[in-house]
Amino acid sequence: MRSLALALSVPVIALGTAAHAETMTIGLVAPLSGGAAAWGSAMKGALELAIEDVQKDGGLKVGDTTYDLKIAAYDSHYKPNDAVTAMNRLIFEDDAAFVVGPLGSAPLAALVPMATENKKITLTAGFTPIAAAKEYPYSFRAILPTEVYAKPQIEWVVKNLDAKKVGGLFPNDETGQAMVNDLAKAYEAAGASFPAQEFYERGRVDFVPILTRVLAQGIDTFELDGSPPQTAGLLVKQLRELGFKGNIVRTGGDATPDILAVAGPEASEGLYVHQEYDPSLPSAVAYEERFEKAYGGTMNAFSPGFYTSIMMVFEAMRETGSVDDTDAVAAAMSKISDFEGPAGKARWIGNDYWGTQRQLFVPYSIGHVTDGEPKVVATCSPTRCE
Amino acid sequence: MRETSMVLDKSAPSDPARRSWTPLVLVIVACGAAAFVPSLLPNLFYVHIANLTLLSGIFALSLWIIYSVGQLSLGHAAFAGLGAYISALLALRLGVPPLLSLVISGLATATSAALLGAVILRLRGVYFVLVTFLFGQIFTLVALNWSDVTNGANGLISIPPMALFGLSFASRSSFFYFAFAMFILVLLLTWALNRSMFGRAFHSIQQNIDLAESCGIDTSRFQIVAFAIGSGIAGVGGAMMAHYIRYISPDTFTFQNSVAFITMIVVGGRSLYWGALVGALFLTPLPELLRDFAGMQHILYGAVMIVVLRFLPGGLISLASLVKPNRG
Amino acid sequence: MDFMTLTVQAGVNGLVIGMMYMLMAVGFTLVFGIMRIVNFAHGEFYMIGSLVAFYTFAQWEVPFVLTLVLAAVCVGLIGMVVEWLVIRPLRSDELTGMIATLGISVVLQNAVLMFFGASPRAIPDVVEGSLHVGPVVFTWSRLLVIAAAAVIVGGFWLFMQKHKLGRAMRAVAQDQEAALIQGISVDRIFPLAFGISVALAAVAGALMAPVFAVSPFVGTTPMLKAFIVVILGGLGSIPGAILGGLLLGLIESYGATMLGSVVADILQLALVIGILLIRPSGLLGHREA
Repeated sequence: MRSLALALSVPVIALGTAAHAETMTIGLVAPLSGGAAAWGSAMKGALELAIEDVQKDGGLKVGDTTYDLKIAAYDSHYKPNDAVTAMNRLIFEDDAAFVVGPLGSAPLAALVPMATENKKITLTAGFTPIAAAKEYPYSFRAILPTEVYAKPQIEWVVKNLDAKKVGGLFPNDETGQAMVNDLAKAYEAAGASFPAQEFYERGRVDFVPILTRVLAQGIDTFELDGSPPQTAGLLVKQLRELGFKGNIVRTGGDATPDILAVAGPEASEGLYVHQEYDPSLPSAVAYEERFEKAYGGTMNAFSPGFYTSIMMVFEAMRETGSVDDTDAVAAAMSKISDFEGPAGKARWIGNDYWGTQRQLFVPYSIGHVTDGEPKVVATCSPTRCE
Repeated sequence: MRETSMVLDKSAPSDPARRSWTPLVLVIVACGAAAFVPSLLPNLFYVHIANLTLLSGIFALSLWIIYSVGQLSLGHAAFAGLGAYISALLALRLGVPPLLSLVISGLATATSAALLGAVILRLRGVYFVLVTFLFGQIFTLVALNWSDVTNGANGLISIPPMALFGLSFASRSSFFYFAFAMFILVLLLTWALNRSMFGRAFHSIQQNIDLAESCGIDTSRFQIVAFAIGSGIAGVGGAMMAHYIRYISPDTFTFQNSVAFITMIVVGGRSLYWGALVGALFLTPLPELLRDFAGMQHILYGAVMIVVLRFLPGGLISLASLVKPNRG
Repeated sequence: MDFMTLTVQAGVNGLVIGMMYMLMAVGFTLVFGIMRIVNFAHGEFYMIGSLVAFYTFAQWEVPFVLTLVLAAVCVGLIGMVVEWLVIRPLRSDELTGMIATLGISVVLQNAVLMFFGASPRAIPDVVEGSLHVGPVVFTWSRLLVIAAAAVIVGGFWLFMQKHKLGRAMRAVAQDQEAALIQGISVDRIFPLAFGISVALAAVAGALMAPVFAVSPFVGTTPMLKAFIVVILGGLGSIPGAILGGLLLGLIESYGATMLGSVVADILQLALVIGILLIRPSGLLGHREA
């Protein structure tokens, strides 16, 4: 058994390395099986690559202690109770230094209060405002929510693509329900209308009937945001099958590789997609290559953001000279800016939205799919895209 | 004759009247031992798993009560979820103290189960099971869509912890005692139910529903009563879960959970009520034991399940009879 | 779009999805009728079918007809092995068998997850382009699904009616003991029935793979829908599964087009419960004793 092997190997390591070497466990709570596993794998990959990079330099040096890093990765099944159980294990059994995850609003809402109680930093991905709320000072969010990106991006879409009447299809879950309001508000503020909004149950595969219903309203632009990658791909495919000629835009939730894979090159030509960062950056290209070499398949675009924020935790620990003083680490971390990561210069924002500095921001971009490849047509700051 | 039901058990359960009082003694011993459990466990994670196991035990036992009259519920988790939502909403919106909301949610869940049972009275055997499945699906859809009340998929947060006369059961260790007390209560109730007149009627129904009917037993009445009691207890269990995790969403109790409860009574052994206990005790911590195998975890879980069923079709409790072939 | 167009469009969509439900439900109900087992792993066989399509049709570019045959044969054989290994020893007890299929489902789904990965892959269309009849658009790939499914179910129906083995299966479904007396070997019929059942699921998976996409989780929804179809049509009844599948597909399509998806989904379940209350054994099911 592995636990036995571990127990045996600990004294050996203790003897073999310098006096100040210790082991530090970093936790992961993410869906590693089931429909959301693609995201979970992206998060796990980010953590593994980050640790590989730190270990390459001989481990994490904080003060005069060097830490050997290891991972405890647990499956959340995308369910709140399982996420809570995994978190219990990470806090009490593994004594994790900080936790990557969870993904999804429901697991997040279930788990973050407990993480706060036990002073564990979490790097989350979920659209609920809880993820960056004042009550939970150790909760950091590694991906951009609709609230932040909707306004600048939709202004761009309305201005440059001449969108007037927009339709969209959303999953009937926490993501979809939260998103519709933000999007509709943003479109209306930008001078367009959003008359055709429909919800579908998770797990549905055939969207043609509901799409028929949406198209019957005579829309000129279709908003793809909110749907999981595979579904978004199916929507593009089925929209074009139905003969929709207008623009299809996805103003959030980068899922371009999956959309292209599922919809095929023909249907996805001309698509406008949100990109979590500028994928043409050399550092981003290198990261993606490295990820795909290590894990095969395509890389989910959440991965670089997680890699960056994990590295920022390490940086904050080095700065404060402590791994246990969570308050100091969290405070130092929120002050880091211009941090070079694979996705570009990263910093923490959020004061304008939630009164906290707990939201990761890297300049993101809008891509236009031409010849089966998204080409960057605009890059965005928190206020505008151009 | 066409075989009629997938739920009727063909292996006759042993006569309840002949069973001794040993369970009661065991319970007392268990109570004494339980007092030390939270302090003996290495850390709070184990206490958490112990708590989950007790809750699973409550769900499995309550499902066994329904099973003992030859019915099966594929919507057991939906009743647990119903209880959870009722109790959480009472506590959150109306400020009802959690213990009272627990009682109300149990009663309300039992009532709704009785109503559903009365409506689907005419459905026998497997069709009854199927309607409970449909009920479960509808429950999830309603919890998801009635967002004014249930807060939709975002779920209800900050549910107050369980408290009793000013005594809070917020921490894992203190909740253990509460969960253990409730678990023993449910266990004793099941045991008493099993020994009573009810139990005998239940067993004759389970063994041969037609014969029981011709002996003048109003089978459907007993089935509804058992369905209501079992579902009501599941509602209480669900409410306990809501006040323990302090969060509930439509994802908390789904069809998979219903199936997991059935799996517990089948893997544990369904001819006797404590088979449900053994099942809960075995299957709840199992994924945690297998976590070290990372990617293989779920595959091993499924494989363990198949192996147990394959070599112990009577469930884990048949191990006991292998050791002592002629007890009783 | 006018009302007429909408109606026709919704009708064709309903047929496509109904055909998939039908293929799933026919196999599901076959196993239930003969072996009295609710096969929770049915959706995983659908998933493996679509996986076979991914490797043979998309990767190795074999003709699509051959892909369907390969999916049916491979998955059918896997099904027979599963029956022999896991389900046969539990034959005396249907509930245990049912829970065992749950274990099979967990093992299969996660094994595929391990070697295939979580991200979905697409399969190119078998036939490209679409048919325009006035303002109505039908894609050929969807029309192909309708035609192919009709042919397959037709063939299966003939097999059950005319072939010796098909008749033997029906005999076992009707009365196992009487079939035994007639000299029908249950040991031969059970694995065959299970194999055919999951082969039908695999064909459904392979057929739908180009229309949707392939991932380890595509089987879950069709499995749940097959469950509902079988309740609607009557447990163990093959005509019931055919009728129920088409009906559910049409209800879903018209409901979603006219009322929106969420309302349609709740309505659909309520409708099935309503039908069960009026006809407790489903539309075409036999009255249980």
